Amino acid sequence: MERLNENLKTEFSIAASALRKRLKERPDRENLRDLIEKSGLGRFKRSRRMTNDELKSLSEKGGIVGVDGSTNSTAGSFPYVITVQQSLAKSTAVQEEIYYSRVLCPLFMQEDMDEAEYLELTKSSLASLEAMAAIEAVEKLKPAVILVDGSLVRLKIEAKSLWGDLKKAAIDKGILLVGVVEGITTKIISAALKESLPEAMKGACDWELLFGALDVGEGLEVVPTGLKEGFRTVFMRTSLDPKPIGIDLLEEQYEYMEQVENLVFTLTPQDGRGIPLWLDLVDKKVKISDALLEGLLKAYLGEDFSEFLTPKRAKRSP
Amino acid sequence: MQVVGLTTPQEVFVASRERKFRINEILVIEDPHQGSLIGEVVEANSYNRFIPLSINHDFVDARVIESLERLGYSISEDEINIARVKLRNEASFPVTTGAKAHLPEFSEVKDLLVRSTPQEGLALGEIKNTEETADTMDENLKGLFYVYTKGEKKKTKNVPFLLDLKSFQQYPHIGIFGGSGSGKSYGLRVIMEELMLKEIPAIILDPHYEMDFSTKEEGLEGTPDFKSAFKKFQIGEDIGVEFLALGKRDLLDLLSAVKPLTEAMSSAVEILHRRGDTLLSFSSRLELLAEALELGRIRIEKILQQDMEPQEREKYKKMKELLEEYPNIPLVSVQGIAWRLRRLQASGLFNHNIKPVKEALLQGKLAVIQGPIWLLQVFSTYLLANLYRARRDYKDGELKGNAKGEYFPPFVIATDEAHNFAPKGYDAPSKGIITEIAQEGRKYGVFLVLATQRPTLLDETVTAQLNTKIIFRTVRGHDIATITEETDIGAEEAKRLPYLPSGDAFVSSPLFGRTVAIRVRLPYTKSPHTLNPFDEIKNYRQKAEERLLDLLETHLPIYETNLLKVIQALNAEAPDLKLEVRTLKESLETLVKSGKLQKTDTPFGAMYHHQ
Repeated sequence: MERLNENLKTEFSIAASALRKRLKERPDRENLRDLIEKSGLGRFKRSRRMTNDELKSLSEKGGIVGVDGSTNSTAGSFPYVITVQQSLAKSTAVQEEIYYSRVLCPLFMQEDMDEAEYLELTKSSLASLEAMAAIEAVEKLKPAVILVDGSLVRLKIEAKSLWGDLKKAAIDKGILLVGVVEGITTKIISAALKESLPEAMKGACDWELLFGALDVGEGLEVVPTGLKEGFRTVFMRTSLDPKPIGIDLLEEQYEYMEQVENLVFTLTPQDGRGIPLWLDLVDKKVKISDALLEGLLKAYLGEDFSEFLTPKRAKRSP
Repeated sequence: MQVVGLTTPQEVFVASRERKFRINEILVIEDPHQGSLIGEVVEANSYNRFIPLSINHDFVDARVIESLERLGYSISEDEINIARVKLRNEASFPVTTGAKAHLPEFSEVKDLLVRSTPQEGLALGEIKNTEETADTMDENLKGLFYVYTKGEKKKTKNVPFLLDLKSFQQYPHIGIFGGSGSGKSYGLRVIMEELMLKEIPAIILDPHYEMDFSTKEEGLEGTPDFKSAFKKFQIGEDIGVEFLALGKRDLLDLLSAVKPLTEAMSSAVEILHRRGDTLLSFSSRLELLAEALELGRIRIEKILQQDMEPQEREKYKKMKELLEEYPNIPLVSVQGIAWRLRRLQASGLFNHNIKPVKEALLQGKLAVIQGPIWLLQVFSTYLLANLYRARRDYKDGELKGNAKGEYFPPFVIATDEAHNFAPKGYDAPSKGIITEIAQEGRKYGVFLVLATQRPTLLDETVTAQLNTKIIFRTVRGHDIATITEETDIGAEEAKRLPYLPSGDAFVSSPLFGRTVAIRVRLPYTKSPHTLNPFDEIKNYRQKAEERLLDLLETHLPIYETNLLKVIQALNAEAPDLKLEVRTLKESLETLVKSGKLQKTDTPFGAMYHHQ
């Protein structure tokens, strides 16, 4: 093996020790729970697994639908890229599956845009595909619950025009709209407890503070503010994995919070990473893999043209 | 059903949502550019795309799956069945992905599966996993025999596996390989039954005394009667060797079968045996020489000078002549030969000839040759050589335009434990003739059916000549290696060999050009040894006990002090029991233990009486 550059080693060790220091400063479990409870930020609550009768009645009401989307772009440099997106709504009770898909290419866009704008566009495009799938699922699959992979806030922001329709349809039809967030990015706790937290933790994400602070099946319900207004959020440890997930629910459907928590807990494998298995299945099915993308390129563009989209970097030997 | 994934001209993957695949199934692939391609499933898999095998290396919580099922999700809905299909003939270029595939109609694969008719072929069993195809099969091929499936005897629903008799001329010999309990003996029995049904002359060497075809298997309809189709011969009882017809080589083989001959003995036999010798002339020569050697020349000459009966004188004169004629043969050699000869004689071997076997063959029957394996080995050498010669002489005569020779029919020779008759690496008396038949038998219509547990121990020249091989479960690595070397069995099949259920086999035959997985049909008859040896012990004990009880009946009650008198009476009635005080007492105690008698202590000692 080649020798590591001395300078690199030093730089890295500095960063590592800073990180270690930060971890040390995390308030311990009891301390944090105490702080949260006293501040009135939220309350800790235990979920339970649903009984067979409860599941059966859910099934009779139309089962659950999982909604997820996937996006993948060819490896070229902007604007020589093609982005392929699709969304899927899949029900546990009805065979029919709802797909929406879209292909984007900046070279053929009406208006000029830079790379950052294009990235924004792909994000909102994907969100709108997911929203479309969810709206159609409300109409056609008529489930009792729709589980969306990702937060509901994201849909609200990125698929502005469709969000209203979706929300209205769900509330009208009495379908619970639930967002399941794998990677929590909010900072609700640190914002609320600013005064009582050590310096290093002042801007910490919620997951960092809650890491290991919850028992399996335990959730912390918080009242969000700002962007998250109109939603209720629960941070919950749904599996043996100590990192919590987030569950979003419409303010209007708050009364069903407890059932939603129980449902998510029930559908999550204990040894998994904390996401309901159904969403994993939908994710697998909707995923646009690199292989699939490559296959599409080769099939429709041909080997010779697909070379145009392959940057030199990708040809570098490992 | 359609072709998926990467394809090659030899192999494709076929996927189906609705149907699970089974190994050895035949599929027709409709390639849009190359037309219908026929392939065989060599590997079958099922999986659910959405239930990952592991989440963080653990299997998905069963509870979660159950919850999903309660929510209406049926796991099988997303199940995909995938088969790896090996093409029967290499395609010109890779198969088109997406090409449709279907289960064949019988007419599409007829030539692949059935190479004969029920009239002209040996119905050995069914081709596995061909039910669907068998539905569209001609009526005369349906339900030809019974098979044993899942513990039940049922009419076959699959395509029959027919081994064409006429193909024997091209591919004459059959090998049957498989460990004990693999169904190899059943396979041999089925072949023998089929030969009898077709009235093909055949011989089977039966060291296990199991080739009897008179007991019918129960529960089958329309079982043919084989009683008059086979004949059992015990060596020494019904058949034997004509001493007069023995050549030096035959004699040496016979003698060495008793116990290997030393070199001195072998050369002694070569010198002592003369053309036209009868058993009497040869054995008396031996005895006389032995006596002469023991006495020594000087003493014999002395004796000859004395007065004696002319007959006696004749004897000593002869002894002297023998000594002069064979001066260099040591006494021990002569004694050794004489001892071996006496043993052969005692087996009755020389009191009979092989004429009955020849007659059975001429009548188109199966001749079952029974005897202990040591005797069977040498006798078969003599027998097979003789029969083969008879057939060859007739056929050669015919070829030379000299059809006057005595007719002798073509025939089949079968044996279990073939590695004893043609072993690899060392010589056995029968090896020569079996090798010769293996190499040349085809010309004369003499065919071999050789079964063995240990193909590795079978002579390689012979193995190489076995064109059709029926391979049952084999566990030994060595034997599997030999089998893969000697047959067209593929790596996939070889891997399955140790796990084949009893009665299932692969047939590798140039006639089919591929390995066919079959299940051997249920024989119509069963071996006389189907009684479990442990049941046998129980039965025997029970019978002995009952007999003793019967005998004791008139003497009850019996006093311990009076046993001797009872014994005298019993021994008079049943001398074979050879009772003594000790054994009778033991038997009485056993009867008490099993509750048949009661024992009471009396002032006169113990008393045995009825309950």
